[in-house]
Amino acid sequence: MIKADSQKAKKHLEKVRELVSKRKHPFSDMTEDGIIEALRRTRKELWEKKLAARS
Amino acid sequence: MLLVLDSNEYIFSFGLLKKASAKILADTIIGTFPIHSIRIPRLIAEEVCRHLTPEEFKEFIGFVTNLTAIDEDFVVPFELGAKYESLGLKPADAFIAAYVEWTGADALITENRHFLKNRSDLSFKVLTAKDCLRLIISPQ
Repeated sequence: MIKADSQKAKKHLEKVRELVSKRKHPFSDMTEDGIIEALRRTRKELWEKKLAARS
Repeated sequence: MLLVLDSNEYIFSFGLLKKASAKILADTIIGTFPIHSIRIPRLIAEEVCRHLTPEEFKEFIGFVTNLTAIDEDFVVPFELGAKYESLGLKPADAFIAAYVEWTGADALITENRHFLKNRSDLSFKVLTAKDCLRLIISPQ
């Protein structure tokens, strides 16, 4: 069981936003559809790796 | 509502794109927790990880694990994934859909417009962050 703490969750999310805002992220200049497509490719790659590891 | 957020919603909630709905949804889940809560499989956590620095990822893990536990992918029955593959989903997307059903979540939140849209025979809704916010804010 986890010990849920939404206030701690909020602090961590705010920290991610702060860190991400301080750098030039590869997604910064991409469109929404471009980011979604990049994430789809990431999903496919990870899934194929997981399947390969199982066989 | 119990929600499963797709990796694109997490990425947008960080402010990488001026997509207010994803940010507001993440804030709303935190602000209304545990009335509205989330579940997340290892696969989605890893997808988000791929696009963050180690320091950012550590904070992301702190964010999600203060709301829920990360479920290992192998807990989802193979047969559920096969069911969604038979509906035409690619294997990894079929796994996500199976995971949502397995958790008993009310909705999968994604900005991917092609993800199981226009299907009325699912045990969960597929919503964008904006549509999810409409449901949460005015459930009638």
